[in-house]
Amino acid sequence: MGIYELSLATVVGINIILAVGLNLITGFCGQISLGHAAFYGIGAYTAALMAKAGMPGPVNLVAAMVMAGAVGVLVGMTSLRVREDFLAITTMGVGFLFLGIVRQQESLLGGELGISSIPSFGLGKMGFFVLSLVLVVLAVAFSLYIKRSWMGFAFEAVADDEDTARVISVDVPAYKLAAFALGTALAGLAGGLYCYFARFIVPDDFGFITSISVLSMVAVGGIGSVFGVIVGTALLTLIPEFFRFISDYKLLVYGALLFGVMRFAPDGLAGLTALAFKRLQRKGGAV
Amino acid sequence: MLYFELLIQGLIYGSMYAIIAVGLTLVYGLLRILHVAHAGLFALGGYMGLLITNSTGSLILGMPLAAAIVGVVGMAIYRLCYQPILDQPPYVALIASIGLFIAMEEMFRLIFGPFGLTYTDAPLQSVVQFAGIYLRAVDLAIVAGSVSLLGVLSWLSQKTRIGLAWRATVDDPQIAESFGISVLNVRYLNFFIGSALAAVAGVFISLLSNLVEPTMGGVPSYKALAIIVLGGLGNVAGTLIASLVLGVVEAFGTIYIGDILDRDAIAFAFLILVLMIRPEGLFARR
Amino acid sequence: MSELLTVQDVTMHFGGVHALTDVSFEVQDGEFLCLIGPNGAGKTTMLKAIVGAIRPQKARIQLAGREISGLPTHRRIHLGLALTHQIVRPFRSMTLKDNVALAVGHRRIRRVWTALGGLDRNKERAEALKLLEMVDIHTYADQAVTGQPLGVLKRLEVARALALQPRLLLLDEPLAGLNHVEAAHLADTIVRINREGLTIVMIEHNLGEVLRVGHRLVVLDNGRKIAEGLPRDVMQRPNVRAAYVGKEANDAAA
Repeated sequence: MGIYELSLATVVGINIILAVGLNLITGFCGQISLGHAAFYGIGAYTAALMAKAGMPGPVNLVAAMVMAGAVGVLVGMTSLRVREDFLAITTMGVGFLFLGIVRQQESLLGGELGISSIPSFGLGKMGFFVLSLVLVVLAVAFSLYIKRSWMGFAFEAVADDEDTARVISVDVPAYKLAAFALGTALAGLAGGLYCYFARFIVPDDFGFITSISVLSMVAVGGIGSVFGVIVGTALLTLIPEFFRFISDYKLLVYGALLFGVMRFAPDGLAGLTALAFKRLQRKGGAV
Repeated sequence: MLYFELLIQGLIYGSMYAIIAVGLTLVYGLLRILHVAHAGLFALGGYMGLLITNSTGSLILGMPLAAAIVGVVGMAIYRLCYQPILDQPPYVALIASIGLFIAMEEMFRLIFGPFGLTYTDAPLQSVVQFAGIYLRAVDLAIVAGSVSLLGVLSWLSQKTRIGLAWRATVDDPQIAESFGISVLNVRYLNFFIGSALAAVAGVFISLLSNLVEPTMGGVPSYKALAIIVLGGLGNVAGTLIASLVLGVVEAFGTIYIGDILDRDAIAFAFLILVLMIRPEGLFARR
Repeated sequence: MSELLTVQDVTMHFGGVHALTDVSFEVQDGEFLCLIGPNGAGKTTMLKAIVGAIRPQKARIQLAGREISGLPTHRRIHLGLALTHQIVRPFRSMTLKDNVALAVGHRRIRRVWTALGGLDRNKERAEALKLLEMVDIHTYADQAVTGQPLGVLKRLEVARALALQPRLLLLDEPLAGLNHVEAAHLADTIVRINREGLTIVMIEHNLGEVLRVGHRLVVLDNGRKIAEGLPRDVMQRPNVRAAYVGKEANDAAA
């Protein structure tokens, strides 16, 4: 693989971890988060600051996850107090709040100019790609595990009908917090990887548009479906690259895609695939 | 003197937020949808108003015409985008709306260019003195416009049969239908009025800064979303009050905590703070 | 026999509407109490208050001597309550079997992080099937919830509540929406479960069944308790008859 392909693959990997994290919060547990990029940013800034202070790579990645997850729990606590529609706006607000704070912190966080000259992870391009790949596989495996576990079963109930979930003994607040903790920790991991990948981060990397981009990757793939989300993420990351001429139209395509998928196929690619399977089965059965 | 000036400034911006936010809360009250694409209609209003005013030389023509056009576009958006997905879970409409908004923003950028357009001869720029401070005519127009438009809306809602039909539909569409009310028409009217209001706000903002640009819809509308939550989703009076409060909080906040938080984030910091204390918002519905 | 549930001075109003005013009663361990009254009397509100789905302005509620009025719903369920809804609320994203299986696994999901520790749902699904059999809807076990007739979904509510192995079962009109045969069979099943030791509070409009199965009656009207006692006695009382007849007369006149 050439350097370019390696970089691209790494970016896809980082986006997958990010999207899988959001899928946990929004897909599995039904909590709409429009501020996911803030946790991406928290992870990136944490890792960047620690890296510049000389701490080793692996430690910084863990710190990124912990930091993002901790703030995620705080934000999760807001989700306990507010209703579904409020939550979408509150999480959006969290995203703007994060940006607002970071932009003003010149001395500590570099303000609008961000943080540059982040040291290398130390593995070289190929090595870093392999690391990212390993982490992607772990994140996806973890996500699939959760989905099949009793935690996932409880998440389904919370996403379906929160009040009824309480009536069948589910500790809804605790499960929501768990979803936020895990999903945002994954976002933090993605952020840590990103800061080592780009070696230079600015606040705008983690704005509302980024939150929406991740949401579109999840929505296009199929909210809740892990494999759908992987495919959706890969598609939305790669298409602008393969069709360079559309990179000026990238956002337009995102917007149109988001709208189109929700309007015509709300279950995303995963839903369409399931539908196609069913049709094939029926055709196969009927003679 | 400074406090008074800040207060007035806050009220002016608050009045403008009110015009946007009320349109948004009307849609939410009726359909329980967070109509993020409202931001796109706001920008469209700004663009239309500017283009018409520039070509005809008259704002008197520009603003109402822009409002009418955008009102119709709003109705089309209801019919083509929201109506078919009303039975889906709420995040579907929300994400669809976000997608629509982003697409609209990009279309403005691609059609009209990324740097925006300006008025050939911006109206309402003359300086006026009010209670010892210097304002522009447009500032007064915003307050006057907001008061009169919302006053008319309130009268419509409380004193006319149309208003009654609207309130009945908000309360319970099925019962309203059984009384012979055309729920579909109520919804069309709702979107028309809300979108027209967004357009008016868009024109006002364009007059404030003599600029329309593709991303102009974003920030005011995100704030409007925060406002309608504060005001109590679907509660028009609460939204108005929340808008004014936010305008004032922003004006003072920028001075006092501008080092920690930039201006736009103040709205959200305020929102989150309020929601932590009162999760139903400042004024819960009913 | 001792009191399993004590409800004292429960008062609930929404805005200007007084749904419940100073309602008090007790439920003995092993009893079958029927909560009756005309429409809008506050019966469903009462059950919701017991389970914590709504928070009354004033209430003292004790389960087996323990004050539960400040506890969140899921904690009350952990302590042994279960509720069926008058307007059915199945999990639409799951099959009927899974709806019940989740409730069967209530101990596994009690602690969030230990819930992460288990992947196997087969045992719980098998148990769920048995519960669905108990209420005669096992043939629908692997089907989706959407499109099921009301009678099936109402019995799903009961199966799901039983899966929680409660000490006190709150049933909100479990027979409504069932045909004669289904209703009679379900009523028999409920009676049998009660004889086996499960305490039951049931709201039911079907007065015939109520008189047949209930040990004791509590009558609500306009948010207040107007009578309490043995079924035959209570139904003779003039104020109780007036509450029902008055309602019918009003409905007829309107």
